[in-house]
Amino acid sequence: MIENHNLFRMGPVRLVFGSLWIFVLLANLNSASSAEPVSYNDVIRPILADHCFQCHGPDEKTRKADLRLDQKEGLFGAHGSREATVIPGDAQGSELVLRIFHDDPEDIMPPPETKKPLTDSQKSIIRQWVQSGAPYQDHWAFMTPAKPTLPNLVASPFLQNPIDHFIAEKLEELGLSPSQEADRSTLIRRAYFDLTGLPPTPQAVERFLNDSDPRAYEALIDELLASERFGERMTLAWMDAARYGDSSVFHADGVRHMWPWRDWVIQAHNNNMPFDQFTVEQLAGDLIPNATTSQKIASGFNRNHGTTDEGGAIDEEYRVEYIVDRVKTTSNVWLGLSMECSQCHDHKYDPISQKEYYQFYAYFNVASDPGMQTRNGNTAPLVQIFSESQTEQLQGIRSRMATVQKSLQDREPDAETVSAWVNSLADKEPKPRPGLGPWYQAGPYSAANQTEAFNKRFGAEKSASIDTSKPFGQQPWTQKDYADATPVNLELPDNSAVYLHRTIQSLSQSQWTASLGSDDGIKLFLNGKEIMGTNNSRAVGPDQDKALLDLVEGTNHLLLKIVNGGGNSGFYFDLRESPLPENVLAAVQKSPTEWNQDDRKVIRSYYLDNIWEEGKSLRDQLRTLQSDEKSIMDSVVTSMVMGDQDSPRKTYVLDRGHYASPKLEEEILPGVPAALPALPMDAPANRLGLAQWLVDPAHPLTARVAVNRYWMMFFGDGLVSTVADFGTRGAIPSNQKLLDWLAVDFVESGWNVKRLIRLMLTSGTYRQSSHVANHHRELDPENRYYARSPRFRLEGEFIRDNALALSGLLNDKIGGPSVNPYQPPRIWNEVSLDGNLFYKRDDGEKLYRRTMYTYWKRSAPNPSMITFDAPTREKCVIQRQRTNTPLQALVTMNDVTFVEAARVWAQNLILSMPDASFRERLDHAFVMSTARPADELRQNLLEDLYQSQLAHFQTHLTSAEELIKAGEYPLAKDIDPAELAAWTIITSTILNLDEVLTRD
Amino acid sequence: MDLPILNGHDLLNRRQMISLGARGFGALGLASILSPEILQGSMNPSEKRDRFGLLENPHFKPRAKRVIYIFFSGGPSHIDMFDYKPAMRKLHGMELPDSIRNGQRLTGMTSGQSSFPCVAPMFEFKRFGQMGTWVNSDLLPHIGSIVDDISIIKTVNTEAINHDPAITFINTGTQQLGHPSLGAWLNYGLGSPNRNLPGYIVMISKGRGQVQALYSRLWGSGFLPSKYQGVKFRSAGEPVLFLSDPAGIDRSSRRAMLDAVAEINRSKFQEVGDPEIETRIAQYEMAFRMQTSVPDLTDVASEPESIHSLYGPDAKKPGTFAYNCILARRMAERGVPFIQLFHRGWDQHGNLPSLIRNQCQDIDQPAAALVRDLKLRGMLDDTLVICGGEFGRTIYSQGSLTSDNHGRDIMVDASPCGWRVGVCAKGMNMEKPTTSPTTSCATQCISAISMQPSSISSE
Repeated sequence: MIENHNLFRMGPVRLVFGSLWIFVLLANLNSASSAEPVSYNDVIRPILADHCFQCHGPDEKTRKADLRLDQKEGLFGAHGSREATVIPGDAQGSELVLRIFHDDPEDIMPPPETKKPLTDSQKSIIRQWVQSGAPYQDHWAFMTPAKPTLPNLVASPFLQNPIDHFIAEKLEELGLSPSQEADRSTLIRRAYFDLTGLPPTPQAVERFLNDSDPRAYEALIDELLASERFGERMTLAWMDAARYGDSSVFHADGVRHMWPWRDWVIQAHNNNMPFDQFTVEQLAGDLIPNATTSQKIASGFNRNHGTTDEGGAIDEEYRVEYIVDRVKTTSNVWLGLSMECSQCHDHKYDPISQKEYYQFYAYFNVASDPGMQTRNGNTAPLVQIFSESQTEQLQGIRSRMATVQKSLQDREPDAETVSAWVNSLADKEPKPRPGLGPWYQAGPYSAANQTEAFNKRFGAEKSASIDTSKPFGQQPWTQKDYADATPVNLELPDNSAVYLHRTIQSLSQSQWTASLGSDDGIKLFLNGKEIMGTNNSRAVGPDQDKALLDLVEGTNHLLLKIVNGGGNSGFYFDLRESPLPENVLAAVQKSPTEWNQDDRKVIRSYYLDNIWEEGKSLRDQLRTLQSDEKSIMDSVVTSMVMGDQDSPRKTYVLDRGHYASPKLEEEILPGVPAALPALPMDAPANRLGLAQWLVDPAHPLTARVAVNRYWMMFFGDGLVSTVADFGTRGAIPSNQKLLDWLAVDFVESGWNVKRLIRLMLTSGTYRQSSHVANHHRELDPENRYYARSPRFRLEGEFIRDNALALSGLLNDKIGGPSVNPYQPPRIWNEVSLDGNLFYKRDDGEKLYRRTMYTYWKRSAPNPSMITFDAPTREKCVIQRQRTNTPLQALVTMNDVTFVEAARVWAQNLILSMPDASFRERLDHAFVMSTARPADELRQNLLEDLYQSQLAHFQTHLTSAEELIKAGEYPLAKDIDPAELAAWTIITSTILNLDEVLTRD
Repeated sequence: MDLPILNGHDLLNRRQMISLGARGFGALGLASILSPEILQGSMNPSEKRDRFGLLENPHFKPRAKRVIYIFFSGGPSHIDMFDYKPAMRKLHGMELPDSIRNGQRLTGMTSGQSSFPCVAPMFEFKRFGQMGTWVNSDLLPHIGSIVDDISIIKTVNTEAINHDPAITFINTGTQQLGHPSLGAWLNYGLGSPNRNLPGYIVMISKGRGQVQALYSRLWGSGFLPSKYQGVKFRSAGEPVLFLSDPAGIDRSSRRAMLDAVAEINRSKFQEVGDPEIETRIAQYEMAFRMQTSVPDLTDVASEPESIHSLYGPDAKKPGTFAYNCILARRMAERGVPFIQLFHRGWDQHGNLPSLIRNQCQDIDQPAAALVRDLKLRGMLDDTLVICGGEFGRTIYSQGSLTSDNHGRDIMVDASPCGWRVGVCAKGMNMEKPTTSPTTSCATQCISAISMQPSSISSE
């Protein structure tokens, strides 16, 4: 167990810290000629952290001998019977030195079984440090940085701005000198990719190369910073940190919509939102007083994590998981601390106790979103986001609704109109009730289907009188004892009809109303005339239809046809004096002088609802408007946001980090670790206060961590190479003065991001050539000290964007919902729940959006991008890896995205330069892709390749035709297939060149 | 940036460092049984790293050269396959005793039930082999016939009660996301002897039962560089994504393109001196070689008829578990050190009695054939075949006994940290309803391992 454990511990840790360490040591020995005291922060603490803190560090539970070496008191204070573990200036008397040099395996530190032995040089340097007075420093990253003064250096073209002073000073210490400035072709391509993620156009290259203004380069940087592409480029990196995805991660990994948050990030960067505001709105936008929709959307940063919908899951287990994720992400991103280590126990290396972890956790623990969320869309809290056209349409609809409502009020008929209507009613006087004969039934009659049963005349439906002693069509009449005014069950076979007949004896010619119901279809005939008919599919009930019966004096013949489509069947019949409801009828049959208030009300409301024609039409208009409003509201985009509970839940330390083991004896209130500055006095005790604390100008971490991350984007690696770990086991800054200067300057500038980036990109350091000289490889193989510009492979997204841009296919729409470009079949269903979820590819211009907009399903992300090191984004990732694999070669050679881009690019080269030679076209292609024309070697090699492929395709025309069909984009007419195919080989070759995949 | 390993290291923070040792495969001792051969002097550092991994020389004498990990996803019912519990007959229909449940939590699938009636074994078990190991003779006769070549471990368990956290835990060592999978760790630590194939290959087949989700994180590289993640081989179309040249580009055109790319890249290297360019040239060559070596590997049809019949009726159907088993053996022969087969469809609840029959039909003959085939070729001595799922099933019924709903739900015990390995070679105590107090009414993920107990190092 221990051996295995160690096996994995030693490799990576040793390599990382080991290699750095040797370097630092060399630097120290070189520069100090051993008179200068050894730096505690640079040299001693990393050794102690690696070898001693596990047992003599912050974790109370694993601490041995009650000795703590991560704090000043522990090193220099009394320990047991000893005066101190370290006595400055007295190596021989210091227990620390005695123990690390001890011969006895029982006494030597670290104990052999920990397998963390110190090397001889490590022991010596510790002794040297003690002997020279043991100067102590607090951990550098926890101390508020002071702005270092600029080193005084002899002027040189390299020294463009303060950055270069610090870099040059360091290089001088190390015996290195800066590289010369890169040529303009390299610079423009580098700056384009770094600031926009896209290549410069040949026109931009030409303009820049010919620009004689001495500030041409600065102008270029300003232009790129102002480009909207800048926001997209910056957002891509932030999406990794914010674990952005279009799916919910756990279990079903269903769809969600968080792209409005992504749009917010793009806009924030393009508007150069100050980083403190950027921070506050994303961590606590919802808590800002009178928060705008945009600020609430920003708070969705902490809704991007994975959520579950699994049937048997326990809500609280996942709810806690989400809070744990928010703590981790927030602390990794803003503090550069692995606070997540303290979920189950005190931090092993950094001064964060488990209790402090839960103080931090308490800020997020009052969030109102539940553990069980949806697999289909967004879970509350959320905001609705109206597009401009939706807002416009809604305004239109609502103002029309107001007009209609006003008309309804204004034009409402007066009392006289209503009285006039009542006076005109025939029903005013009660009529003698006609006599109803018994029901006779004929049928059922079968039909092929319900429609036929409804339409077919099975007997003489339209005969004016019916003799029930004779068959009706094929069936005889039978008398039935069916009750009126109650639904009657008929028990008809499916797809059949039945006829019901009765006589009505009226004393006078008068109008009566039949109230009807049916299951399913119904027709009514009176004296041979069809009065009503409707072919429904329904269950029977009273008053489903009404029909006016104009009765003649004497015998009337009433014939009902009831149709059954399937299942139950039945009918309802009641003869009413009037079509008016009974209460209305009762009222109108009174004299107006007898009307009480209720009568008036009943009459009026009946009149308005049923008789007033204009009112009916106005109400129809209103209904249409309401349904329009609803359909817009239903299509309104939502975005998940943070929101706190109305009555906040209490927080407790979770024993061993387990959701079901709160230590109820002590409630934990929100707070920040004691090793970091206190909260601002007026900070509210919620996330807003936490965010304000983070962006307090005196905070030692936030600005450094942010500046370091920006540095990494443009210089390949951070000044602190462990970009997410500024704790005691993180890497030591390769140039702390520079880091501190940048951090302080950043805060002083009002957290001005574009200004900071401009400073970096206009520095002499950035402008250096990336050529790796031999002495670089020896003295600084990893380029930690920047005697050259880094050279690195583009991120996967930019590799695809580059191909799209070169081919001319790129769709430059910014923002909006994610899209589904080409992807091999069966990537989704192979892993999806039930195995039935298939990727539905988009068509047309959605195939060519920038790659950051590709739908990101986190259980099965786009395979080409994953091959190029895009993280799945299930968790916060601050620094992507950069690998170099054969599978990447397969993507850029064979993925239809790249093959299509190659052939469309080839087509455009041929069509846009109709009279050009091969070499002219090739030069143009190289300027497009590398910002410089092809040299002799490239010309010769690729012309040979072209000629051989042209000959090949001329004799293999079918192959040519197959190749130029790749992808959906239309093939130009009148283009020679062999020529296009041969050119496609050339453009595909170019897309696979190191110099095209790489930012020089 | 020719230092992918160093880049990787930079990304490991201490939490991650701590987590690797204690979990994942620390306790299983896999590292001890896998190992590269002797170091060869002539390789450049990057090649050496791919070949031998980070460790170069592990401090254990290696026993296995490769692993084939058969993963039954969905929660195969251990008590209906390998973990015979005849004593359950006495408890049939009775309420689940507290002494067995031991206060364990239940999933939301059954926690609302008012009653938890125990169910007696539904299938016939028999003793197989010289060791007399109990195996379900209805469903797994073929596995029964090779039982002397495997160990059945009944103490593997997980704390998770739902599929997603359990399957993530067992494949990456923690149910929290972002950690490398077992195969990625081995790939990173030990490298791969085959330069023409990935060091970690994943294949997926789908059974006829209820299918739970898989996630790319199960074979992902987590915080390690992505080159160490499992490469998914596909059952239809291209076996590896983007392997085939586009329609219209033949091998000679491809070769000519690559020659031009290499020459231009070499000239770039001369100019700028970036060693990453040399690596890229080598990787393009390997991609070209893979385009030949992979089709050769996946040419299952070239196997003799005797092999096809050994693996059973599905052996010739691409995408089946049987087909993948043959592929796994072909990969093992070619030196791929970590091969993982996912077979889906084991999420049986009320319909368990009928569905498990189909699933077992899918796997019984091929899985046994794989062990037998490896043994015939003398490869079983240094190939570790692991077989298991994310958890098993409860001994109580989901729903009421009077209905036909004899399904069993998942439920798991509380062992906080990783796999505990115990070996059950001869039958353990069959009288007790459970094999250990902690696995109680619920379940372990049974793992069958293709090695003798003596060759597995435990704690």
